[in-house]
Amino acid sequence: MISLPIVDGTPSGSGMKAWRSPPHREQDPQFVETVAEEFLPGASDAPSGSNRRQFMQLLGASMAMAGLAACRRPVERIMPFVDRPEETIPGIPLQYATAMNFRGTARPLVVKSYDGRPVKIEGNNQHPNASGASGVFEQASLLQLYDPDRSKSTLRTGTTANWEDFLSLCQRLQTGVRRVAVLAAPDNSPTRARLRAQLESQFPNTLWVDYRSEGDDSELLGTQMAYGQALQVAYDFENADVIVSLDADFLGPHAKNGSLDTHSFARGRKLNGAQDRMSRLYVAESTYSVTGIMADHRRRMRSDAVSQMASQLATALGVYDGATPDAFASSIASDLQGANGNCIVVAGESQPAEVHALCALMNDALGAVGTTVTLLDTGMPVQAAQSQALPALVEEMRAGRVDVLLMLGVNPVYDAPQSLDFQGALERVSDTIHVGLHVDETARASTWHIPAAHFLESWGDGRSQDGTLTAIQPLIAPLYEDARSEIEILAVLGSGQFQRGYDLVRDSWRPILSGEDFETDWRRVLHDGYLEGTSYPSATPAASSFGGQVQGPGTGLELVLRLDPTVLDGSFANNAWCQELPDPVTKIVWDNVAVVSPKTAEDLELSCEYSKGRYYSDVVTLAANDQVIELPVWILPGHADDTVSVTLGYGRDISTTRPERDTPFWDKDDETDIYARGTLATGVGTNVSLLRDLAAHPVIPGVELTKTGRKWTIVTTQDHGILDTEARPIIRSATLDEYREDPAFALQGEVPTPGSDVKTDFQDYPELWKDRHPSQSPSFRDSDYWQNQWGMVIDLNSCTGCNACIVACQAENNIQVVGKKEVGNGRELHWLRVDRYFVTEGGEELDADPMIAVQPMPCQHCENAPCESVCPVAATVHSPDGTNQMIYNRCIGTRYCANNCPYKVRRYNYYNWSKTIPETVQMAQNPNVSIRFRGVMEKCSFCIQRIRGAQKRAGLEKRALQRDEVASACQQACPAEAITFGDLNDEQSQVSQAMRNARSYKLLAELNIKPRVSYLARVSNPNNALESAGQT
Amino acid sequence: MPWSLQDRPKGEKPSDCEVASSTDKTVTLPAGADPPLVTGNLGFHDITQLVSYHTEKRPPSAWYMAIAVSSTLLCVLLIMIAYLVWNGIGVWGNNNPVGWGWPIVNFVFWVGIGHAGTLISAILFLFRQKWRTAINRSAEAMTLFAVICALLFPTIHVGRIWVIYWTLPIPNQMEMWPQFKSPLLWDVFAVSVYFIVSLIFWYVGLIPDLATLRDRARTALRRRVTGFFALGWTGANRHWRNYEKTYLLLAALATPLVLSVHSVVSFDFAISIIPGWHTTIFPPYFVAGAIFSGFAMVMTLLILARKIYGIQNIITMDHLEKMAIIILLTGTMVGFAYITEFFIAWYSQVEYEQYAFLNRATGPYAWAYWTMMSCNLLFPQFFWIKRLRRSIPFLFITSIVVNIGMWFERFVITVISLHRDFLPSSWDYFNPTIVDVLTLIGSFGLFLTLFLVFLRYLPMVAIAEVKMVLPESDPHYHHKHESEEH
Repeated sequence: MISLPIVDGTPSGSGMKAWRSPPHREQDPQFVETVAEEFLPGASDAPSGSNRRQFMQLLGASMAMAGLAACRRPVERIMPFVDRPEETIPGIPLQYATAMNFRGTARPLVVKSYDGRPVKIEGNNQHPNASGASGVFEQASLLQLYDPDRSKSTLRTGTTANWEDFLSLCQRLQTGVRRVAVLAAPDNSPTRARLRAQLESQFPNTLWVDYRSEGDDSELLGTQMAYGQALQVAYDFENADVIVSLDADFLGPHAKNGSLDTHSFARGRKLNGAQDRMSRLYVAESTYSVTGIMADHRRRMRSDAVSQMASQLATALGVYDGATPDAFASSIASDLQGANGNCIVVAGESQPAEVHALCALMNDALGAVGTTVTLLDTGMPVQAAQSQALPALVEEMRAGRVDVLLMLGVNPVYDAPQSLDFQGALERVSDTIHVGLHVDETARASTWHIPAAHFLESWGDGRSQDGTLTAIQPLIAPLYEDARSEIEILAVLGSGQFQRGYDLVRDSWRPILSGEDFETDWRRVLHDGYLEGTSYPSATPAASSFGGQVQGPGTGLELVLRLDPTVLDGSFANNAWCQELPDPVTKIVWDNVAVVSPKTAEDLELSCEYSKGRYYSDVVTLAANDQVIELPVWILPGHADDTVSVTLGYGRDISTTRPERDTPFWDKDDETDIYARGTLATGVGTNVSLLRDLAAHPVIPGVELTKTGRKWTIVTTQDHGILDTEARPIIRSATLDEYREDPAFALQGEVPTPGSDVKTDFQDYPELWKDRHPSQSPSFRDSDYWQNQWGMVIDLNSCTGCNACIVACQAENNIQVVGKKEVGNGRELHWLRVDRYFVTEGGEELDADPMIAVQPMPCQHCENAPCESVCPVAATVHSPDGTNQMIYNRCIGTRYCANNCPYKVRRYNYYNWSKTIPETVQMAQNPNVSIRFRGVMEKCSFCIQRIRGAQKRAGLEKRALQRDEVASACQQACPAEAITFGDLNDEQSQVSQAMRNARSYKLLAELNIKPRVSYLARVSNPNNALESAGQT
Repeated sequence: MPWSLQDRPKGEKPSDCEVASSTDKTVTLPAGADPPLVTGNLGFHDITQLVSYHTEKRPPSAWYMAIAVSSTLLCVLLIMIAYLVWNGIGVWGNNNPVGWGWPIVNFVFWVGIGHAGTLISAILFLFRQKWRTAINRSAEAMTLFAVICALLFPTIHVGRIWVIYWTLPIPNQMEMWPQFKSPLLWDVFAVSVYFIVSLIFWYVGLIPDLATLRDRARTALRRRVTGFFALGWTGANRHWRNYEKTYLLLAALATPLVLSVHSVVSFDFAISIIPGWHTTIFPPYFVAGAIFSGFAMVMTLLILARKIYGIQNIITMDHLEKMAIIILLTGTMVGFAYITEFFIAWYSQVEYEQYAFLNRATGPYAWAYWTMMSCNLLFPQFFWIKRLRRSIPFLFITSIVVNIGMWFERFVITVISLHRDFLPSSWDYFNPTIVDVLTLIGSFGLFLTLFLVFLRYLPMVAIAEVKMVLPESDPHYHHKHESEEH
């Protein structure tokens, strides 16, 4: 504290002398002091002399601190703002456009930040190459940022070092290094390309290998094979009439362009009127994928038989001389030919390049290229396939010809093929530098580890799928001092000098933004998140040709490795939201399994017994390429025979410095806290990438499967269920022809309820609650909220079951994660679940080829809510705007409401899950949503905080709420636009229009609970020629 | 003689009255009269002596063993409750579809047991069933203790027990009242009113006997305590007149409560919309079940007590047989209700309803369903055979089997209906935990401890009322029978 002088208040001069008391008059020294300090020092007088300068210093410093604090509030020191930083109002969120690198492509995002703390990620709906939707991984990447196990400091051979140590290493390396090698996750960032060039000029011999955990990019190799140049293929599913997927899970959450493709695919199947067109999807695949769920005709076959299928199809289309087409292939071929070029044949990632080349040939021959298939010239040079480049690099390393190896965002010790012995090769390199979010397998094997900055903490750039230049800007300063972005490290290694990411990106963009005023253009880019008109040029290559040979199906058991739809390649394995996210098809959480068909299971005598809420699966060993792993099996109807599907990304081993939570025996906090014992990912599932051969092919033929005789407990959020749609019309569906005949087919056989559109004899019966229903009471009608009546429509014809809505809901509504054991106990907290049913013709037995139907299930906000009338303390009540609200503070936890909910969408806090969340994860919580204590019920609120927020905003701006101004979190995330939310009082709102759709029906309407959520029945578009031939 | 001078504490002289009472008196009964309710030719004083004596002497060693066990179990209960409140409801097996597990099963089970007492005291009193006098006191005590156990469970089963008073209509600054539409709230009122009325009824019945204990008291403290609770009873004519009117009025007040409390408990289920719960048959079916289980529990306890305390002459074989007949009747009634539910499910043609019942009989909990069916419907059918009705071992076994069956009935209704309802996607399984099990066992500790304390300190048979049914207490007894002969 600066002490300011007190101006002596004694008046000078003579005159009348007034005094207060005898001591005053007598000038008692003690009294004089008291009088002088009547006010606090400095309070009564202006500072003078040299102290004014000190005061100004203080003022300046506080201004500067206020500016700093705008980036991130200090964690421990309380330092209130003296001046409000520009543009921030406490409690009012700011949104910034940024992007996330997902599998080498930038996904444009808009991130919401409260007081400098990012809390929610959405898609950028302004971006020309984005739908505004966001997938599972964009949503979950928020929790990556706040992962308590993120690495916090630089490590040198496992011991803590600091950034300066690394800097001096890089300076030393500038001279005398023979060879630098870089192993980096794919990224199309222009800045990275520039820095790569810089690095290559500094170290002429640099070996750069792009590394994907899943192996070769067979699509790129396929186009290379067909057109002689590496082209990126973009599909327009919206305008395609016939789509053939050859083992391609293009709608899957892990698909490279999953969100975009789901968006356009769903648009091609929107049915608003009876005569609307709808695309037809054929799927040939080995496992049951999200794309398979949407198929009109699905044929299951081994992954290596799909190439045979491709060959038949290409033969039928006359572009290849291969296998004789069977009835299925010829029907598809004639259907494709009848589509006038509005068709797509797409091959999957697990298919070899030859099949991709055949697809290119077929699309070319069908006239699809140019209409529904666009070839994009990324301008990238033809690259060696990873299956060749990586072994070559390892060879160099082992030979001692590499001095420095930089690993950017990759984890090869974990997921490179075991036969490569990457770790062994690593030891031959004198300086190995790993950059990553975690101290993982590779970090521990490297000499240096630098904590990577999360994309929300760093500057960067990238290109979206169509090539549009997209900016990445940070919303928060790195949580940990040593964290640096990949481009910063690349620059340090290339130059020996540290340059801030901000400068690096701006330097790259200076030639791009060649306009007169760079700063204005730059601000524009940051505001929008992208630069208009920078997409890749579409390529018009010479006619495709393919001289290769497609291999026929192999024999024996094949093993197919895929990216996991919830943890991807393991980079999301330490993310609690992802681990607890049920697999879209199997609904398994916290595990990976070897999926087989019922017949294969029978042949191999494998079992997966359901008992008392859990599955007890046989643990098997899978042996291939001299490697053996153990995995529990999972029997999936609809899976192809003689093939085993496994997913990557499990069996991680991540280190943490966080102490374990240990509570006394009578306190279960250490049992219920998922973060209590080490890292989340460690010990969950098995690493399957070990089995791959040198080239890391995703399909491994001739794998040996042996039963171990042991069992493993598998936990799902849903039992295996078959659905007799006749008896329980939960999911209603029809074919396109049936729909055209009777668009309102979903209401056939509907049990009449009072007031419903179905006319009955009971129509005129009095309704008990009609007049005295709370919604008719004056207190409701007088409320301002009465103006809006919220409702939701979910289109089952669009929903693919990709899970994006679940994670979005979890991020928005602070839903806690409970862990494998408690999910097994049936206590998961997801407010929104996606129900998966196997639908079979007969209804009773699970046959080998069931259909799968999915149904998102939020709270239905019944007008006659059965939960409300049973609560003894009125903790769940109806709002005047028609939502069923849960008052956490009032809830005493009788769980009666949950019992009486026919949809079972209420979730109960059996333990104090919010008590144990780590400090950093607390930062991920949405400040507008209460954290729930143990013993209270919770459930979907229709994102009431968003509704009230929009109403408050409208109120401040003195205007009415605009049409469709409020979007629920699930709706905003949904890439398929399956969820519509809005005001039912507004005839023209999207939700009112959707509610009037002829396919609309309400679930369990016969209970007269009047749900506010409507479902639009599913319509399939089968090929009648195939139907009549008895093929499905 | 059922009791003997040897029972007297050592070093104590036999009192005059004891010696006097030991002499045989014979009341000659006219031919064709009802068999006496009290056997062994006991006189007024014998009954006083026989019943009061047990509250005065050292309890038998069996009592000490029993209280050691039951108080241990009570401690287990208290530990389980502490563990529950510290950690949360998750220590039980409840999960998402099955929001109510064992605690609610136990609640309904104990409320059901708490039915017999007031039924015996009030309804049988109004119907002039004189045989009730031998068992009503202990049955009423059992009722109170069972209702205490019952009240415990809904209290601890809420997630936030520290705000459970919100279920009571207490005026508060929030102007927030309970939600009167909720059957749980009706429960709060129904069970607490039942408890209070039963307590008053029981206490009023105790007054003359407490006065007897006071008059027999040998220590000042005992005289003081029993005298305080005897409310200055002197046995005056006016006392008796007021007493009998009060008793009659209270009986009339308690009678509808016997029927209402379990009807209200059944509303917890019947008011809901869950298949298997949403059934209009529940109120009578629950009341019948409650009487069924209540009588079984009375039988279990009295078979032991009459043996240990040697009061076979007061609680006679005829009493037990009458209770067996009521068990047979009510057991058949609940069995009929079970079958009716199936018929209605079929008749309704509602898939959800049909599946709910099919799932009970054939689903993953079929074992529980068939346990219930055999214990409640089949086993009591043996009571058609008079020999079995009068066989003490068989009665004892049946009384326990019936209560096992009735616990399972509540389990079947609560858990099986919840675990599979409308949407198959949310179906799950309920696994109880060790805490569930120990809490149930512990609740027996609470119940038995209270009952043993009652046996030790209060007359287990209504002395005054039993005396009223002795032939010699009826001044017109001979005259009546003589006139009938004419």
